[in-house]
Amino acid sequence: MGQVKEYRDLVQENETLRQQLNEANDTIDAIRNGEIDALVVEGKNGHELYTLNSADRTYRSFIEQMSEGAVTLNAEGIIVYCNSSFANILDTPSRDIISHPLVEFIPESDGKNYDDLIFLGWQQEIKGEISLKKKATLVPVQLSITSLKMDEGVALSIIVTDLTSQKQILNALKSNNEQLEMMNKQLESSNHDLQQFASVASHDLQEPLRKIQVFSHLLKDKFAHELSDISSVYLGKIVHAANRMKVLIIDILNYSRLSSNDRNYVLTDINAMINELLLDLELITKEKNAVIRVHELPHMQINPGQMRQVFQNLISNALKFCKREVPPFIEIYSRIVTVKHPVLDYDVRCCNIHIKDNGIGFDEKFSKNIFNLFEKLHSKDDYDGSGIGLAITKKIVEKHNGQISVHSKMGIGTEFILTLPIDQEPNE
Amino acid sequence: MNKRKKILLADDDIDDRILFESAYRNRNDIIVLPIAINGVEVIQRLESTLAPENLPDLIILDQNMPKMTGKQTLSLLKADQRYAHIPVCVCSTYADHHLTVDCLKLGAYKVFSKPITDEEYQKMMNDFLGDLAVEIAH
Repeated sequence: MGQVKEYRDLVQENETLRQQLNEANDTIDAIRNGEIDALVVEGKNGHELYTLNSADRTYRSFIEQMSEGAVTLNAEGIIVYCNSSFANILDTPSRDIISHPLVEFIPESDGKNYDDLIFLGWQQEIKGEISLKKKATLVPVQLSITSLKMDEGVALSIIVTDLTSQKQILNALKSNNEQLEMMNKQLESSNHDLQQFASVASHDLQEPLRKIQVFSHLLKDKFAHELSDISSVYLGKIVHAANRMKVLIIDILNYSRLSSNDRNYVLTDINAMINELLLDLELITKEKNAVIRVHELPHMQINPGQMRQVFQNLISNALKFCKREVPPFIEIYSRIVTVKHPVLDYDVRCCNIHIKDNGIGFDEKFSKNIFNLFEKLHSKDDYDGSGIGLAITKKIVEKHNGQISVHSKMGIGTEFILTLPIDQEPNE
Repeated sequence: MNKRKKILLADDDIDDRILFESAYRNRNDIIVLPIAINGVEVIQRLESTLAPENLPDLIILDQNMPKMTGKQTLSLLKADQRYAHIPVCVCSTYADHHLTVDCLKLGAYKVFSKPITDEEYQKMMNDFLGDLAVEIAH
């Protein structure tokens, strides 16, 4: 007590304290940055090791819980640590893994690949794919290798990602794509064949058919006086059947031709087009005493030749399927609507065109079928027709990115509704 | 009065040759020249015609013929200065849109589907001659 320190002693003590403080600060920084997970402290009983229990436990539980496998190798390539996910990947208890060389779990075929990866892994961080032996099978994995320098020496830390499901998905995708591509090709070629067939068959069928027509007409016109009544009836049937077949063939030809791409859209006055069409139908309209009322319709971008056929088919149908005792009344009117694009989520300005008649109608349960090729609800003796008209109509409407629907009541009438975009997208 | 028009037909189908001849046998405004059986024969026939005034006034070609189709024969005729002025029609059992457009582009005078009844045969020839007369008047 009362011992007075000299100024020099005080300066030295101060210096020592400052050094200790700096060391303590460095240690705290190192702990904070994760550079240290244990401290060796000089205590009463010599050096003592204090592990940073909390930090260590956190990392260990991270590693144990992550779905990737984690392995540490020593310089000899012996596994000194592995987490439970790695044990699961190999389907082997970890006691049979730790202290074994990792190469034991590498199939021979991947031996060189493994050696190269490990060699590079000691120099730099590296990733690579390899197989691991899982009992009798192989597991595709990715290794992410990092070398660590620790007090006890060097080690390799390896993260092992199981690629099994990834590979399975990739393979499934690949085979799906291949299948799709193949089906696409098959479809394309069968579509092409079909068009080719329809065209060739139709052309080649027409030659002999025309001969039947020509010679039966010759018989009828030049030798009528030599024919008995019944012979004339038979000849009439031949002429009629040949004419029907001609209509069928030309319809098939037109239908098959619709498949080929023909995007020839022109802004068209629909009213003018229908008026022109009604002139062509004047004879039958008068014959049936029909009234056709056409309201104002918009100008639309359409393929005029094709859309003319749509209206011709629908109006002809309305005239054909009329009641015997009531003159046909056909009304055509439209309404502008906005329709959501079926794929892209934006509004498309469309026009609903209604073609409504007071004819015989049909049972609505057939409303889907009537657009099928060769679908007919009536025998040809009652109502003539090829059964192709509405199929052509539907195909044309769909080629215009539109839809057709139908409502009908037996004995009341039928209403067709076309929904067509007013403008066509310039390029598709 | 115009003199009778000389018509040259080429068709490989014997029925059609007979039909054509018999349809026009009694008309006094045309002369049906001996019918060629294909396009090659048409060219040969023209080559052997020495005086230009003996060339046909109208050539009618069937489209589907062996050796040379109607379309091929048409393009040969139109490429040859000596014959390019002769009106050429192309006919087929069914003259579709494609054939019609192709042949008109090559310089065909008319493209048509073959007639069936005698009435249609006469009408077709009347159309040809009527339009030809108009062309000549111009």
